[in-house]
Amino acid sequence: MRSACVLMIPALLLLLALPLSRGRYNDDFDDGEDLADFDDNDFAEFEDMNEDQAAEAETAPPPRASPSSQPEEDEDEDEATVELEDGMDGFDDSETQDQDMYSKYDQEEFEGIGDMEKPGHSMKDPLIIHTVPAHLQNSWESYYMEILMVTGLLAYIMNYIIGKNKNSRLAQSWFNSHKELLESNFALVGDDGTSKDAVSTGKLNQENEHIYNLWCSGRVCCEGMLIQLKFLKRQDLLNVLARMMRPAGDQVQIKVTLNEEDMDTFVFAVGTKKSMAKLQKEMQDLSEFCGDKPKSGAKYGLPESLTILSEMGEVTDGVMDNKMVHYITNNADKIESIHFSDQFSGPKVMQEEGQPLKLPDTKKSLMFTFNVPGMGNTSPKDMDALLPLMNMVIYSIDKVKKLRLNREGKIKADRNRARVEENFLKQTHAQRQEAAQTRREEKKRAEKERIMAEEDPERQRRLEEAAQRRDQKKIEKKQMKMKQIKVKAM
Amino acid sequence: MSSNNMSDLRRPAKILRYKAPSTESNPTLEDPTPDYMNLLGMIFSMCGLMLKLKWCAWIAVYCSFISFANSRSSEDTKQMMSSFMLSISAVVMSYLQNPQPMSPPW
Repeated sequence: MRSACVLMIPALLLLLALPLSRGRYNDDFDDGEDLADFDDNDFAEFEDMNEDQAAEAETAPPPRASPSSQPEEDEDEDEATVELEDGMDGFDDSETQDQDMYSKYDQEEFEGIGDMEKPGHSMKDPLIIHTVPAHLQNSWESYYMEILMVTGLLAYIMNYIIGKNKNSRLAQSWFNSHKELLESNFALVGDDGTSKDAVSTGKLNQENEHIYNLWCSGRVCCEGMLIQLKFLKRQDLLNVLARMMRPAGDQVQIKVTLNEEDMDTFVFAVGTKKSMAKLQKEMQDLSEFCGDKPKSGAKYGLPESLTILSEMGEVTDGVMDNKMVHYITNNADKIESIHFSDQFSGPKVMQEEGQPLKLPDTKKSLMFTFNVPGMGNTSPKDMDALLPLMNMVIYSIDKVKKLRLNREGKIKADRNRARVEENFLKQTHAQRQEAAQTRREEKKRAEKERIMAEEDPERQRRLEEAAQRRDQKKIEKKQMKMKQIKVKAM
Repeated sequence: MSSNNMSDLRRPAKILRYKAPSTESNPTLEDPTPDYMNLLGMIFSMCGLMLKLKWCAWIAVYCSFISFANSRSSEDTKQMMSSFMLSISAVVMSYLQNPQPMSPPW
């Protein structure tokens, strides 16, 4: 029995020596117990070791299998190496040499082993413990970027719903406070243009999540009035963040279109300095008829912040009567711009290659732009503050109908308009000539084709002769004209 | 000044129907944001799909949301839905091909 054990033990040792780390031996060797047993029995150490090793052999493979226990093993090795290092310092130490018989080679016997071992050990020293790659971990914590993204999206959706509702409430409160006034003045309040009958829809037309329209019509003095509630884009989170840097406010834009007989010929505008400068640059009619720089409104009793652009002084005197001044002064903070014009054609068209060959269509209109108080932080209650402004609009419509320029004013206005038209014609003269030339050539070509297509030779000849005669006449006419001009010049 | 109740200023006979402003003058006045965002969203989602970049796909999702928030009510929903679907499919495909979590750029 004993001999069998003795034989098995070295075999086991050999088998286990390969997978097991050297440290294991050192561990056991440094065990105090082994030292004590050493004396009793030559193989006592092996016995202990055998048991230990058997126990360790069982535990060794399972830990080896699971990578998470790698650190433990590494720790063992670390411990072992620490001890080994302690022992290694004594390469020359004779005491440890005897103990570390199996792991260390006798320096005297083996040459160059120390060098071989040392790199081996130095390789072992800096142990790099790799963390398990993120995608192999089963924790959701590694997906924190994705969670951030989804949270951002949810925040955006929340802001969209809140912003949309706020804009909707603001629009509704505006409409509720103005409904009575509008219904008493207009036969048609609210129309989206799609229904067959002209029946008041009685509600705002939602164009966007932040723009609401209302069309009113059916009144003396005007064709119709389009009211646009241009709110801030509260439903877009990006816009909300941008507004934190650059504050802006909600606006109400009103455009009243008038019939031909409802308005005399004049162009006039009043508003904040910034808006007047902008309008004068952008608007076709203001840039042509009101060439002078905006004048301060203080002369007419308006606050300093407002400036006036006018075609002539008489117009300003006519528009700025006491009531109007009263309205404007009381609501100066809410007024962005007021623009009356009989030549309104929108903003200046960008100069493209093909300039428009005729003057743009003009429409007699009154435009008002009001700022909603609150500068972005409006509540539905603030909408009531805009009611006096609507009263001003109605008053303006009636006033403009009654306003008539005196004779001098009318002559001046007509002269202005003629001047503008002439300028325009001069600018486009070259182009119009080209257009006329092409048209004439087209006509000639068409005629020639007709002649060629004519099958009957007789008729062909007759048509040719007619064309020739016409050309001859034209040449004669031209010559006559040239002679006349020459005579005149002389 | 409210209208005098005795003389009604309303004229039902003079009613003019609402005509939406012509689109000729509109392109300059209209806000181009939804169109730009739509285009950006499509570009990013194509990048995300082709180059397998997860952050591209996520930005595409954001772009299509922004485009939806800024869109006009007259715009048809098919365009919106198609850009949504494209961006979501870009995100899903990126994760199917590479389940690793997205690494931050820092």
